[in-house]
This record gives sequence, structure tokens and C-alpha cells, in this order.
Amino acid sequence: MESPFPNFARAGHAGHVNRCLSGLPGSQVEIDSSRHADFRFSLALGFYCIGALDLLGVLQAKTTETDRTSWRAWIWEQQTQGPHGTGFRPGPFATPDSSSPEPYTDHDGPHLVMTYTALLTLAILRDDFSQLDRAGLVKFVRACQQEDGRQDSNCCHVLMVNLSLSFSMLPKHGDTDLRTVYCAFCICDMLNDWSGVDVERAIKFIRTCRTYEGGYGQASFYEASGGPTYIALASLHLAPRANGVLPLTPEQRKKSIHWLIHNQDKCGGFRGRTEKPADACYSFWCGAALKILGAADLIDAELHASFLGSCQFKYGGIAKAPGENPDPYHTYLSIAALTMYPPNVPGEGSLSKSWDFETLDPLLNAREETVAWIREHVPAKIN
Amino acid sequence: MIPAPPPILYAARAEWADIVPVEQYEKANPLAPILYSAEYKDATDYLRAVVKAGEQSARVLQLTEHVIRLNPAHYSAWQYRYETIVALQSPLDVELALMDELADKYLKTYQVWHHRRLLLTLQPTPAAAAAELVFVAKILREDEKNYHTWAHRQWVLAFFNDDALWAGELDFVDAMMNRDVRNNSVWHHRFFVVFHSGVREGEEDRERVVRRELIYVKQNLSLAPNNASAWNYLRGVLEHSRLPFATVAAFVTAYTVPHLADAADLVDVENPPPGPGAELPCAAAVEFLADVYEEAGGESTDKAVQLWKSLADEHDTIRKKYWEYRIREAMSK
Repeated sequence: MESPFPNFARAGHAGHVNRCLSGLPGSQVEIDSSRHADFRFSLALGFYCIGALDLLGVLQAKTTETDRTSWRAWIWEQQTQGPHGTGFRPGPFATPDSSSPEPYTDHDGPHLVMTYTALLTLAILRDDFSQLDRAGLVKFVRACQQEDGRQDSNCCHVLMVNLSLSFSMLPKHGDTDLRTVYCAFCICDMLNDWSGVDVERAIKFIRTCRTYEGGYGQASFYEASGGPTYIALASLHLAPRANGVLPLTPEQRKKSIHWLIHNQDKCGGFRGRTEKPADACYSFWCGAALKILGAADLIDAELHASFLGSCQFKYGGIAKAPGENPDPYHTYLSIAALTMYPPNVPGEGSLSKSWDFETLDPLLNAREETVAWIREHVPAKIN
Repeated sequence: MIPAPPPILYAARAEWADIVPVEQYEKANPLAPILYSAEYKDATDYLRAVVKAGEQSARVLQLTEHVIRLNPAHYSAWQYRYETIVALQSPLDVELALMDELADKYLKTYQVWHHRRLLLTLQPTPAAAAAELVFVAKILREDEKNYHTWAHRQWVLAFFNDDALWAGELDFVDAMMNRDVRNNSVWHHRFFVVFHSGVREGEEDRERVVRRELIYVKQNLSLAPNNASAWNYLRGVLEHSRLPFATVAAFVTAYTVPHLADAADLVDVENPPPGPGAELPCAAAVEFLADVYEEAGGESTDKAVQLWKSLADEHDTIRKKYWEYRIREAMSK
């Protein structure tokens, strides 16, 4: 019988993300319109590319010191200060050229998701964080948390009130959903300073996103999906809590495991929603959620890896499903999933070695070594 | 097909001659640079200029529309467009008509839905709400599981919270269900309408509502037993209503064994039997019955263990490790 494991084409995948790092033609940007937003924003795309090289253990070997230095400089150029504190922009697309930095306006201000992405990317690039405006960041996170909403006895308006418990992408406006909670929590965790957020209020919002299926939707009463479920569970586990308080009740944990484990399809891959086909990115979202719940040993890691193996594109990169075009988003998330679920590939040869990975911290979604770097260099100095 | 002529850049248009374009600031070697087209670069240079100058005018509406068509995820363009519409008191029906076209084209982009939401909030009339539900239904027929579109529908219902809007919702669910009984978004929407949107006239008797929902999901399962969405709904209804899983044990049992010879003779609305073409035993039913036994505890635990073993070894081998874990957990109680 033929081995279910093709070679994991590490060099090919590194080549794919490296090509994207050096410039994407405009036409390729729209490969997947559902993630259009991410792809237009250089910073998000850069994170997936650099993160993938880091997970493959070849960031130093495949990029030059000059490149890494200039990328760090570019990311710092996205740090911007203004009335709502300090954060990072997704890229300079809204920023006029000017010789001296001016305070941002309502139209070119920092973005919560991009601030989290920037900090993580800087850590992967082993920046010393000497330029970090810690107090300004705390202020920015605080400005993104919505004011407490009006409580309304009419239960239908719960949906409206719930949104006001969360964070928006930008101070006072923009999307409000679970992604912003996760990014705010990650920033607080990295800074080791939670003074900028009302944790209880944010957790209340997360709880309203839980559905009858045992997963979480992107905002209150939305359908359960893999991405929001990862984000909700990671946030609940990142948040500081009193001794003896569990992030979930035992019943909730059991039900979430049930839903997540049933998302593994016959083909080995994970789906994001009940009765949808498998997609490589959900290997990370569902897989990391299971890992956070302490249930990583319950999945069929070999069948899972063989699905991701079949999503490899012949010229490098990983696609959402076999036969599709690869992109850095699916490439990064597939490799991140494999770090948590390395298959047991028999033998000592290069085939088995190609499936060997670094270890990942599932809460911050970064290599453990990168997280150690963050712990050492980022935390706010508490006086 | 004749290729479209290259667009005339703003830099070459007399009516934009008064504006000095503002280039994107780019000093360091950018991370993952995106090679923008000349058309996109030109349009965004003029967008930055008008934003900087604070201009809000009819031509800004044209410019932002152009940028949005080139990149529907450009959230600054959307935001500035919205502010301009408010400032100019631009007719909302015209904007909504444009949005109908754009939503159709870019229906996976969050911003098109967010913008609609802002527009509806500006003009919250019952007629606008009713028209919105019609529009959403049209989009959902094209893309039946679109996450943003379903969320938008829930927002419209909750925001306007008008009995007349809610009244048609279960019929809409049925129509969508008839197209695809495995569409989990429809099941989720049904749960939202029945259990999370308040108690509507005619629905005050909650016991009756729960009975209706149980019959609904059972009938669905009898037509298509291997439907994870329906099984999750069944679990959800019972848990939400604090009813034990054993409530439906008689129904479930028929799905855990091969076809019964006399099944066709049974006419029991509460317990519709599996249809003749059903693939039995159904793994989800076996699992459900095991949960019933686990719930009962005591000696029944053995029966649950037997069922989990059958899942691990035969009916659902991909989750072997999970079923073995369930056995360990139950035995350690």
C-alpha cells in the first residue's frame, strides 16, 4: 500500500511565502475575495509569510539581515500616535507623504487587529521593542473598548447592546466582533498590563457569542464557526482570572470538544461550520481550539496530516483544498496546525523528517521561542 | 468582446485639476509590497487628497465609489463615503440601489454589509426594513451559506424588531430548508428566531413551541438521517428547554439499528421512522443514544460503553480516540 504521506515540501512552501514577501502583483491580491481585507493590508500578509518561515525554522536562512532590518523599520513606520493613544496602521495606504510624523486623524488612525499583528511580527523578527510606546498602546486599547451600552428590557435589542460590550477595530467606529476582543486581549497579555480593558465586560460579550452547537459565532447570535471559536476560547484562557475560576464550565468544555471533534471530516481535514466541506485553515482554528481545551490527543493526526499533504500545490504553498491555488494565509495556518498535530510518519528518512515541526503556543499563535522573546522584551514596566 | 478602454486617470481630468494628489507615504522597504495598478494608485492618491482637504461633494461620492469598486475592502473609502453622504444629505434610496449592485458583486466583503447597516440606521422605516429582508433573501438564494448575509438578516430583524417582519420568518426558514436541509446557517437562523428573539404573539405557550420544534427536527431527520445540523439542533432544543435527552429516546432508537421490516406501518408524528432509503445505523443516532444511557448513569453506563465501542470500531472510526476518551470519562465517574 502506498504511504498516505507525500513529502512535506518545506522548501517549496518557504519559496511560496518568500515570493509573496518580495511583492504580489495586484491581480493576485484578489485570489480569495473573502479575505480581501487581509490581502490588501501588507502587514497581515507579511505576518503570514514571515510567520510561515519562522515555523519552518528557516527565517534566518531564507531572508537577509538587511531585509529583516528594513521590515522592522517599515513596521515601526506604521506605529502612529494621536488623541486615542498609540497603535499600528495596516499599511501606509491612507497616510499622506510627509517629512515629519503628524498625529493621526480619524481617517488614517491605528487599527486594533493590525496592532496585534505588528507586535507579533516584530517579535518574530526579534526586534528589541525599544521604540514601543507602552502607555500609548494601553490608552489605544482602552479607546477601542465601546462605552457600556444602554440596557433595554426588550430582549431583541440584546443584540445591539451586546455589540457595545466589545471592542471596535478603530477608536469609536469600525467592526465590532470577537476578533477585536482577541486582539485586545493579546496586546494586554503581551504588555502584561490589563489596565486598559474592562475584562469582565469583554468576557460577557464573548459568552453571548456562544451557540447551541457548542462553538462560537463572530458576534452575538451568529452561527458557530471555527475561527471565532478559536478566538473565543483563546481569549477566555488569556484573560486573568481569580484562583479556582475556570474559563468554561465542565459541561461547556465537553460540548465544545464535541462540536470541534465532529468538525473533522472523513477526508481528515476540518470544516469551519457544520455540514460544510473541509478547508485547510480550519485545521488551525479547530485544532488550536482543541489544543487549548486540552483535547489535542483526541484527533486522528495521521489522517489530518494526509489531508494537508494533499492541499500542497506542486510549485509550493498550501491551498484551502486539493487542486486549489495556494496563498500565504492557508500556508501559514496549515503549518501552524501541523506543529500541534505532527503525524507519526514511520521511518528515519527525509520523508519522516519533512514532517518535523517547531512547537507553537496556541494562545498567542506563535512559536514558543517567539513567545519567550515577547515575555522578555515587551511587558510594560509597572512602577 | 471588445476590451474596455483604459480608464482616464484623475491626473488627466480637467474637473480634478484643482486637486493636488497625495502619494502614499512609503519610506522603508515595505513588507509584502502590493504592486498596485496605475488606476488604483491614481484614484487613491486623489482620495488621500480630498480626505486631507476635508472635501465632501458629489465628485467625492464618485471617487469613493471608484476606489471601492477597485478594492471593496478599503474601509477608509467606505467610511469617508458614509460621512460624505451624511454631510450632503444625499438621497438614501439612490445609495441603497447602488449598494444592491455592490453587495451582489462583493457579497463576501464585510464592508458592503456594514455600510448598508449604517444607511438603514439613518432611515429606519418599516418599508425600508421589509425591502431589506426581500433583498437579503435574494442574495441568500445566490449564496446560501454566506456568513455576513445571514448575520445582516438577523441584525435587520433585531434592529427593527417589528412583529410584521418576524411573522414571515419561519416560512422563510422553511423555504431555505427546502433548498438544502444540510444548510447549517438555516438551522442556526431557526434557533435564533424561535429561541433568541423574544416571545411573539401566538408563541406564548413555550411547551407547545418546543413540541413543534421537536416534531420539525424529527421529521427532517426521518427524511435525511445523516444530517449533523439537524442532530445538533435536536440537542440544542432539548438543552435550551432543559429536557433530558431521554425525552426522544424512542425516536432515536429506530435510527441506531438496521431497517425494521414493519417500520412502514408505523404512523406516529412524534416518532417518525427513518425513510426507506436511509443509511442505517446512523452514527449520530448511536452517539445520541449513548448520551441518553450516560445521562441515566448506573447500569446504563455499560450500554453507553457498548455503543461508543461500536462507533470507535465500526460506525465512526475517524473519531476512535474521541470515543475511547468518552469511555474512559464515563468509567471514571
